[in-house]
Amino acid sequence: MTSNLQQHSDQNEVIIDVQGLCKRYGSFTAVDGIDFQVRKGEIFGLLGPNGAGKTTTMEMIEGLRQPDEGSAKVAGHDTRTDLGKVKTVIGVQLQSTSLFELLKVKEITKMYASFYEHTVPIGPLLASVTLEEKLNDRVKNLSGGQKQRLAIALALVNDPQVVFLDEPTTGLDPQARRTLWDIILKMRDNGKTVVISTHYMDEAQLLCDRICLMDQGKIIALDTPRNLISNMNSESAVEFRIPEELQWADDRKEQLLSELQTLNGVRIAEFRKDTYVLYTDDLQTTLTDFIEHCKEKDIQFADLLTRTATLEDVFIHMTGRSLREE
Amino acid sequence: MRAYGQLTIAQLRLFGRNKQVLFFTLFFPVFFMVMFGYLFSNNGSLGIYGGLIDLDQTTESRALVTAMDQQKEVLKLDRETPQEEAMEKLRQGDNQMVIVIPKGYGEKLKAAMASPETAIAEHGYVEVYYDETQAQKSGAALNAVSQVVDGISKSFLKYNPVVTIEPKGIESLNLKYIDFLVPGIVAMMIMSNNLNGVAGQIASWRERGVLRRMQSTPLQASTFIAAQITARLILNGAQALILLLIGSIGFGTQMNGSWALLLGFVIIGTLAFMAIGFIIAGLAKTPESAGPIAGFISFPLMFLGGVFFPIQSMPAFLQPIIKALPIAHLSTALRQIMNVGAGITQLWSEGLLLCAWMIVAFIVASFTFKWE
Repeated sequence: MTSNLQQHSDQNEVIIDVQGLCKRYGSFTAVDGIDFQVRKGEIFGLLGPNGAGKTTTMEMIEGLRQPDEGSAKVAGHDTRTDLGKVKTVIGVQLQSTSLFELLKVKEITKMYASFYEHTVPIGPLLASVTLEEKLNDRVKNLSGGQKQRLAIALALVNDPQVVFLDEPTTGLDPQARRTLWDIILKMRDNGKTVVISTHYMDEAQLLCDRICLMDQGKIIALDTPRNLISNMNSESAVEFRIPEELQWADDRKEQLLSELQTLNGVRIAEFRKDTYVLYTDDLQTTLTDFIEHCKEKDIQFADLLTRTATLEDVFIHMTGRSLREE
Repeated sequence: MRAYGQLTIAQLRLFGRNKQVLFFTLFFPVFFMVMFGYLFSNNGSLGIYGGLIDLDQTTESRALVTAMDQQKEVLKLDRETPQEEAMEKLRQGDNQMVIVIPKGYGEKLKAAMASPETAIAEHGYVEVYYDETQAQKSGAALNAVSQVVDGISKSFLKYNPVVTIEPKGIESLNLKYIDFLVPGIVAMMIMSNNLNGVAGQIASWRERGVLRRMQSTPLQASTFIAAQITARLILNGAQALILLLIGSIGFGTQMNGSWALLLGFVIIGTLAFMAIGFIIAGLAKTPESAGPIAGFISFPLMFLGGVFFPIQSMPAFLQPIIKALPIAHLSTALRQIMNVGAGITQLWSEGLLLCAWMIVAFIVASFTFKWE
């Protein structure tokens, strides 16, 4: 993935320009004054938990929702004044579009193609999402993954410059997700700019050139996946439990946490649910120090594991909450 | 233009492939037609059976009996059965009415003639017993009797009418109940297909995000609506034709008017009810509520609007309301065209009212309609 990143990062032309975008529903603010730019030819990820404002943000750029404040420009066209032009250069896959179940794959694609002046040939288009053998099947006989691929084909029917994919892999099995990822990566290779929203951090990490981390209508970070993680200054995480801790008083737990914080290499020490997490930029020193410390204080730990830090860690670190609700 | 064609074809394909909906939208009216058609075809025409008892036995009363006899096409009256027995038959439903000419009828008539100014107070009267539960038949029966009685009283008062009705047409056409029924059923089908169909489909497309997906393309809303209208006109036209054919082949219903005019009214009716369907689609928050709302509106209309029963047989206080209903005008217009071959000159008021409904409903719909 990183080779692709380098390959595309020299194209700095801005294709989507979002300035101070705001959307309120009564007293609830869904999107709270966000700014960002999407560069031509990149896969731009909107990552955040449900209700973070990802869909609302996308729909304001697509012109489906009127922003209360701010503006969005796609390929130089303002969505408030030039929506007609915006619509011709974008392709949209909505979060929960159900298609006409009784139409055939070929028919529905033809129908969507008829809405545009400029379109791509239907045969190769459907082949590119590996639906060439399903041309004459009715939509209702397709599997979930096939339907989602059809939805993506429909988003590409007008040969758009920017493709919006709103949680395209939600509800799909791992195999179908992987097929879809390949298709999305191929879209970037064909020069499309892709804006994708997801709440799967692995997906965002794998697909996206840059990720916009959203929470409660605000952008909390925007960078490449690698930079987001390395900005935590913690490449690795150490997790463990202390079974006897259940009988401990709160001040005892507090004390342990501050002790852990002083271990060699530890950047952050956190207690989450029943597990202690230590983020470190030097795994080996931290582990050695940790074991010694436990021996010294006669602490019995269990379920020790080490891993590399993920976007999930970045999110938790920045918001104190998990990406997916428990 | 390409989008319009594609959307129309897509919608027609959706109609054609949704076998269940297709079957029931057609089966429902055909079922009504067959059921009512057979139920009432046993009685032959709109004949009304009853007993006539003359307790007065004067010249005047015999004149009335003779006048009644002249209406034997409609009034099939039995003069032999005694009153008690005739009343029993009425209770059991074998008779639709019992007419009793009370004692003193002739006396009162003579007195009224002698001094016309007191005629109002001391007029002769005829007792007509009928079964209130048989609204349709008894309505027609009362109508027929009052016509005869009206004729008698006018002739006694030496009333010289300026305007007369020439009782031509109806009798020579020999219309049956099925002739009355089939245009009503066509009107009902147009109403229920469009109210339920449009409201349900649009509400469900909205819920499922189909409309939003289309909204994200350069497709114009007007193109989308135009295609919807075209497809529904084709569907309703075809369904109406099938119903008329079943009526004509299966029950021998008559078509005495212009097919073009009939088609014209099918089109206006479809448009008017489609527009109301769009309003319901706008009001309904979920596709689940669209059905009941449409039912709430279409069900009373079905019974009030002259589909199964003549509008005249409805209670008087409902008449002004019924006269404003679109279904009443659609069923009347279709019936007039088919039954008596009415032309546009007789039906312009119906056409105008339906057009008014259509325009007002489309205006309201354009305000209440939501893409999402």
